Amino acid sequence: MRSVDVVIVGASLAAAAAAKRLVDAGLETVIVEKQQLPRHKICSGILSPRGHRFLLENFGPLPRKVLHDPTACRGVTFHFPSMVSMSMDFFGGTTPHLHRKYADHWAIEQSGAEVMDDTSFLAQTQFEDHVVVTARKRGGEAFELKARYLIGADGPVSPVLRSLYPDYHKQIPMFFVGQKFHEIIDCPLDEEYFHFWFHPDLGHYTWSHARDGRQIVGVGYKIGDKFHDRHLHVAKYFEEKHGVRLKPADDDHEGCAENFGPSLINRYVFGKGRVLITGQATGFLNMIGEGMSCALHSGAIAGESVVDAMLRNRPVQEVYRQNIASEVRRTTDQWNPLQIAFARPHEADFPKALAALPMGDRIKVLRDIWSFLKLYKEFKWGRQIAAISMQRLLRGDYSQKNWM
Amino acid sequence: MSLSEHTTCSSLPADPVAADALIGIPRQQTNPSRWQGEQWAEFVRSLREQGIEIREARADTGIYVTDAGGLAYGMPHGVVLARSTEQIAALMKAAQMFAVPVTVRGGGLTTEGESVAFGGILLDMTGMSRVLHVDREALIVRTQAGIFWHLLAEVLRRDGLDYISAPLNLSSSVGGTLGVGGIDVNSSKYGCSADQAISLQVVTPTGEIVECSDDENSELFERIILGYGQFGIITEASLHIRPYTPLRMHYFYYAALKPCVEDLLMLDASQACDYTGILTMMDSAITLLVAFDSDEREAEFMAQVKPKLRGYGELMFALHLAVSFSWRPWKWKEALFLLRRKRELFPDLQPAQHMQDGRMLDRTVVFSRAVWKHWGDRHMVIPDLATSRDKFVQAVERGNAVCRKYFPYYTLYCVGIRLRDDHRAHYELSSIPADAEGWAYGCEFEPMYNGVEYSRDRLQSFKNEIYDVGVELETSYYRFGGMMKGYIRRALGDAVVEKHLQLKRQADPAMILNRDVIF
Repeated sequence: MRSVDVVIVGASLAAAAAAKRLVDAGLETVIVEKQQLPRHKICSGILSPRGHRFLLENFGPLPRKVLHDPTACRGVTFHFPSMVSMSMDFFGGTTPHLHRKYADHWAIEQSGAEVMDDTSFLAQTQFEDHVVVTARKRGGEAFELKARYLIGADGPVSPVLRSLYPDYHKQIPMFFVGQKFHEIIDCPLDEEYFHFWFHPDLGHYTWSHARDGRQIVGVGYKIGDKFHDRHLHVAKYFEEKHGVRLKPADDDHEGCAENFGPSLINRYVFGKGRVLITGQATGFLNMIGEGMSCALHSGAIAGESVVDAMLRNRPVQEVYRQNIASEVRRTTDQWNPLQIAFARPHEADFPKALAALPMGDRIKVLRDIWSFLKLYKEFKWGRQIAAISMQRLLRGDYSQKNWM
Repeated sequence: MSLSEHTTCSSLPADPVAADALIGIPRQQTNPSRWQGEQWAEFVRSLREQGIEIREARADTGIYVTDAGGLAYGMPHGVVLARSTEQIAALMKAAQMFAVPVTVRGGGLTTEGESVAFGGILLDMTGMSRVLHVDREALIVRTQAGIFWHLLAEVLRRDGLDYISAPLNLSSSVGGTLGVGGIDVNSSKYGCSADQAISLQVVTPTGEIVECSDDENSELFERIILGYGQFGIITEASLHIRPYTPLRMHYFYYAALKPCVEDLLMLDASQACDYTGILTMMDSAITLLVAFDSDEREAEFMAQVKPKLRGYGELMFALHLAVSFSWRPWKWKEALFLLRRKRELFPDLQPAQHMQDGRMLDRTVVFSRAVWKHWGDRHMVIPDLATSRDKFVQAVERGNAVCRKYFPYYTLYCVGIRLRDDHRAHYELSSIPADAEGWAYGCEFEPMYNGVEYSRDRLQSFKNEIYDVGVELETSYYRFGGMMKGYIRRALGDAVVEKHLQLKRQADPAMILNRDVIF
């Protein structure tokens, strides 16, 4: 059985960031990825400024092929049922519109870690001082790798997480997000912005932006509804209300499951023993559903925690949970109403944009947001959010007790 | 000039791809990729044939995995312990021929990974740490450059002598300090530590051994002093020294940053003190430190300048703090922290064995130990801002606001740096701001961890935010080597950087010496 320092499952941005920290510190690191690289990935591709900075500082200048067209995004425009629209620029300027297929692969290559692609993670067994990871190359026999640590950076439906907590995904609400691509006849939506709708009738998460000459119409909703119907409804709304005239969707539509929720109520999963969970698998998600910057930073923190644990001979979970506290604060703050009102936790200034609207529009917007939030009532997060907001106010931090 | 104009006109080379699309955050890679080891085997063979020892075992290379900052990690392929100038010259010749990167390390006190090798050779200079000659008449010492200032002071003390100025800690080396500047509490009088260098023996990136000074090979001397190790390796240095004098110390306490900083500026301009500096506990207990080399200077200050200072004495300040915290009872944790700090720190700043008649007998020992004991930690995170006199108050206040946001407990350390007109050329690539006249001012912002562990990621965000203040104020950064590669073009402008890049390419064709520090 081959023996390495660390196995990372997944070849995403979180994996690349973790791998960079591990390889820098001289640890033998193997990335196990179920698809062949470069692999396709469903994503809006709009990175936050913090994530942009991380990419540049750790992986170098972005090659052209890792970007879609338009290559950059200035900020976010919110649209409300009362037909008020509100644009906010990102702090510090534009951010890249990443082509995830190539961006992720580029970052993985830059990290310097060894990659086993086309290889599925099957199982893990923990021992006192190592983990045995079972994996299988497509069409081949299952094989084992002995590692000191295992990092699961394998996304919302993380198989590594499932190997630790088989029932986890049944305990949290899962959503479906899907996007379809349309040739444009006429689109008045500013292509420099990412557009988001606070509209309860359209769904839990509705967005649109331009990509490579086409317009994306994206919908997110609780798993169970039909993608096609949802999408048609939204496209029709765009046409009627915003004058967005699009040709019928092309065939290359795509969708995936999302674990939206843990960030709001501070219920993250960081792993057990020698197995760390990182990236979106933990539940990290920014307010507009951007998970890449959290993935990069939490991935780096997972990597540095393994380095710390090894160099200082300390239990890795203890180190990881201490180190990750800052990222938890940053992400959960984005959903914390007190922080939103008084502390500018986002990477664009929502209160300022709101204040710039005429008084009548401001009231409409707040009323619309409130009716949008009612859509989430069934998940019973309200009381939990209120409780953790108070916790943050009084002790300056979020409790670690709810973490798994 | 507004920030946006600043970033566009003096910023990084246009992004190779999305030329204008990515103007957002013009950063460079500060956490470089590892060198891949091309021609390593041939290089090692060539060195071994010349009898140069290279240590490649993981146990040997692993101890150099990070620096005092503890944020950048990298593994050298092999380590060479410096033995002699000739050995280093041979090493550089071979490294140039096989294009193997060489990273030079003294005490490893850098904070941005400058002494971390991202592959290639790590040259540990601490193997060359002997004092070669002390000239008591001319007050000059010749020393090998791998020596720590702390040890140099010990040797000089035997003859009743002292170095002029050096960073107060236990392990910064002479070579490293001359390469980046160095500050001390007497820098407002004597300039940065590098200014005490008279002449240097240098191994150039191509392996020549050259002696340089203001008169001999002066261009090389200009490049080496405050040159961030780009133009050569300092192997020996002749330094000005002075007769040893005990210190007469006084502390004044302030409850706000602005009056204290203004008093510091006033004191330096009056040239009434031999040592000045500000050391704070957050922005609630701010200490102005002044000291004198002679009783006469002290008496003169007490009579003429002291009445102008706005600081309190210890007792009055304690009363002031007590009143202030009684109005703000929710700040009880901070009050307790200050009390504990006072109880622990004050005895270490005036240890009985180093005091005589109220004078401190060895500031190097006292301050260095106190700094290590009370400020030292696994991560030495000390981003700083260096400004002209005019911008200093603003820089301190804005940096302080960033500290407040990130940490419950932190320290600011401010000193003035006297600029020497005849050394203007030395400062060009350094982070002495171009608009500074007479003095430059530096403020370091340092978290005090108080047992809390922060992720590297968090500490890096803090540093970035301090450096961003510098960019906005159009000023620069002054520390051991605290000038991040990603900021240099914005701090110094394209013209200066391009000029030095050309010089670097001439001096170091394979671009192997201390890569990724600046270029």
